Amino acid sequence: MAVELTAPAGPARRVSARHFVRLKLRVMGNNLRGQGWRVALFLGGALVGLWFAGSGFFLFASPGLADADRYASMVAAFGGGLVVLGWLLLPLIFFGVDETLDPARFALLPLPRRTLVTGLLTAALVSVPAVAVLLALLGLVVTAGVLGGWSAALVEVVGVLLGVLLCVAAARAVTSAFASMLRSRRVRDLAAVLLAVAAALLGPLQLIGVSALQETEWDRLDGVSEVIGWTPLGAPWTAGIDLAEGRGWAAPVKLLISALTVLALLAWWSRSLESAMVGTASAGGARAKGGPAGGAVSQLFPRAVGWARRDQFGALVAREARYWWRDARRRANLITIAVVGIFVPVLVNLGGSGFGTGGGQGFGQGAAEPSPLLVSLSMLFVGVVAAVTLANQFGFDGSAYAAHVVAGVRGQQELRARMTAFSIYVVPMLGVVAIVIAVLLGRPGWIGLTAGSLLASYGAGLAVNCFVSVLGAYALPETSNPFALNSGGGVVKSFLTMLAMLVTAVAAVPMVVAAALLGDVWHWLALPVGAAYGLGAALLGAYLAGDVLDRRQPELLATVTPRR
Amino acid sequence: MTDEQTALSLRGLAKRFDGKVAVAGVDLDVPAGSFYGLLGPNGAGKTTTLSMAVGLLRPDAGQARVLGQDVWADPVRAKQLLGVMPDGVRLFDRLSGAELLAYHGLLRGMDPTVVDQRAAELLDVLALTDAGRTLVVDYSAGMKKKIGLACALLHGPRLLVLDEPFEAVDPVSAALIRDILTRYVGSGGTVVFSSHVMEVVERLCSHVAILAEGTIKRVGTIDEVRGKRSLEEVFVEVVGGRTATGEELAWLSN
Repeated sequence: MAVELTAPAGPARRVSARHFVRLKLRVMGNNLRGQGWRVALFLGGALVGLWFAGSGFFLFASPGLADADRYASMVAAFGGGLVVLGWLLLPLIFFGVDETLDPARFALLPLPRRTLVTGLLTAALVSVPAVAVLLALLGLVVTAGVLGGWSAALVEVVGVLLGVLLCVAAARAVTSAFASMLRSRRVRDLAAVLLAVAAALLGPLQLIGVSALQETEWDRLDGVSEVIGWTPLGAPWTAGIDLAEGRGWAAPVKLLISALTVLALLAWWSRSLESAMVGTASAGGARAKGGPAGGAVSQLFPRAVGWARRDQFGALVAREARYWWRDARRRANLITIAVVGIFVPVLVNLGGSGFGTGGGQGFGQGAAEPSPLLVSLSMLFVGVVAAVTLANQFGFDGSAYAAHVVAGVRGQQELRARMTAFSIYVVPMLGVVAIVIAVLLGRPGWIGLTAGSLLASYGAGLAVNCFVSVLGAYALPETSNPFALNSGGGVVKSFLTMLAMLVTAVAAVPMVVAAALLGDVWHWLALPVGAAYGLGAALLGAYLAGDVLDRRQPELLATVTPRR
Repeated sequence: MTDEQTALSLRGLAKRFDGKVAVAGVDLDVPAGSFYGLLGPNGAGKTTTLSMAVGLLRPDAGQARVLGQDVWADPVRAKQLLGVMPDGVRLFDRLSGAELLAYHGLLRGMDPTVVDQRAAELLDVLALTDAGRTLVVDYSAGMKKKIGLACALLHGPRLLVLDEPFEAVDPVSAALIRDILTRYVGSGGTVVFSSHVMEVVERLCSHVAILAEGTIKRVGTIDEVRGKRSLEEVFVEVVGGRTATGEELAWLSN
């Protein structure tokens, strides 16, 4: 009695959220297997999460522990609201989503959407950040318990649980919606650039926000926190506190608001999940028409590189110059340089007492009187930041670098060309920074000083980053999704970046010393000396690092080629 | 000179990754003017072998010579004779087809006017002219293979090494690639390519080598290797695959 060909292997068993959680744990475990450093990174991440959870817990419990009921709802509304906002925005800007369980992988399985959504949500809850947030916000339960007894604590537990659900659901829904919006490569590139701008502006905005906070009165915040408490941002966190403070009628309403928000988010997620599951297969792409102008060679060279000879060096410069514009990741870096280049020196030199970050006073100068030393230091910082963009310049290319290995491009040629192409964008930007800062300081005569410091540190940075990029390259994920991120590389990456910046800063210190010692003469000498110093350093760096590169081209290719 | 008659000569090439042997000592002689197929199942070490042969991956042991030039001791001279299309490697795909060809030509130190002329011809023959200024990243899989082949051919190499040139290519493009390669061999070039598509190999190749578990299992002209049987039968036997006997999977056959 043969079984029919199309017969299922028996009645299908129900798939529950438990399966998703087990799958996620298994995938996480397998990722760690046999990779000591990954285990270490994971443990490190878990410890950091635990530390945040612990300090968050005490922060949220402090109104209760200190019996300061006046601040209880404020802490709950503002703190909780920030947490929700963080979950909403941070994955988009910085971290990417944890795609341990990628919805696209479930596309072929006969799973009802409801099962899939609950399963994926439950699996998403099993992560270090989710657990850390839960632990931290349980501090509110202590607060509610101290202030309002058992009933308030119980309501707060429900509220916090709903709140964490809300956080995770919001993060998933937003990224999933984005993923389906970002079908076309052009939109994806644009989104990456916009997010880079947002991320670059985050620092300055934060400083402005802090200084604004210092000037407002606390009482006015009470009203704001009450309003936030009634939005989904604060509702789950303030329910128990309200009960404790005698507004018992508010608690169920707020819990209801939270629950409805979670449901709405899940419904939204469930709808966008379908398109996310179908994947981001390119729909053919817009085919750029328009007759090619001229021969292949003249098409390769952008106008800004028109001066270059039509040889290997020229081709390398032209291709790099095109890539700094056409590759969204690289363009995002250029934008970061522009924003940092203007904002940091302005904040440091013109910040006044509000957000002068103490740097001004530290060098014995008043905020009103610009100091050559401080100006040189801030310019040095900008130059360092600009140059450190090249720290993983081969990682940008990924496996495409194979073309250079096959063609046998000499290391020195390669590095000089890359510096040249990058400088086509950066040196004009640095020029603008030098002029803008000098004018804003009211000392147009200092342009030589600002420009000289910038060029010297930028050149020294190029030299240092030549070595870093050859010796410390790492693979970037080979995907067009700007939110994708290699898990685990973050620590190594930022360590290398810090190291490169530190060495560069040391290499450029003579410029600062000269600014401090030489006085007025330096205002005129700084530009020629700085430019010569920078150029010399860059050329020397390319010369020395080029030799290293020649010896380890295949190894470099292997390190920048993504696994799988 | 025997060196001149051997387009590619590999001696004892070996590579291990994280303690796992990927290629365990490959010896291979590719005669000049041959159309050489490197056959093997997935994971046999084809890509690793070819990468070591062309200078993309440093071998743990062994030698690779291209027309007598040692790839690892004197890479510059060997690489001038080589055209390579690696598999699973991205192109500089934020360039348009024409830009990419110009880039490869100039990287190889070619004269710009020659680059212009050959690029236009190659784009035309490979039916990529219509793509205009479309970036290679937006090309279809078949178009990417074709532009990759064009990049490898542009500087007129004496030896072409192609990794999986027919993977993910539609029949029309595959026929075009076959024609171009056949013409190239006919005019004195040598082609080495890896594949696991028996039909293509049987139709094109003068020589084959079967690679499995990191070593060469069979090597010779195609007639020597297959004898009186089909290449597929030989391949499955050598690789140690099994044919379904009909006892298992009974539920499949109603």
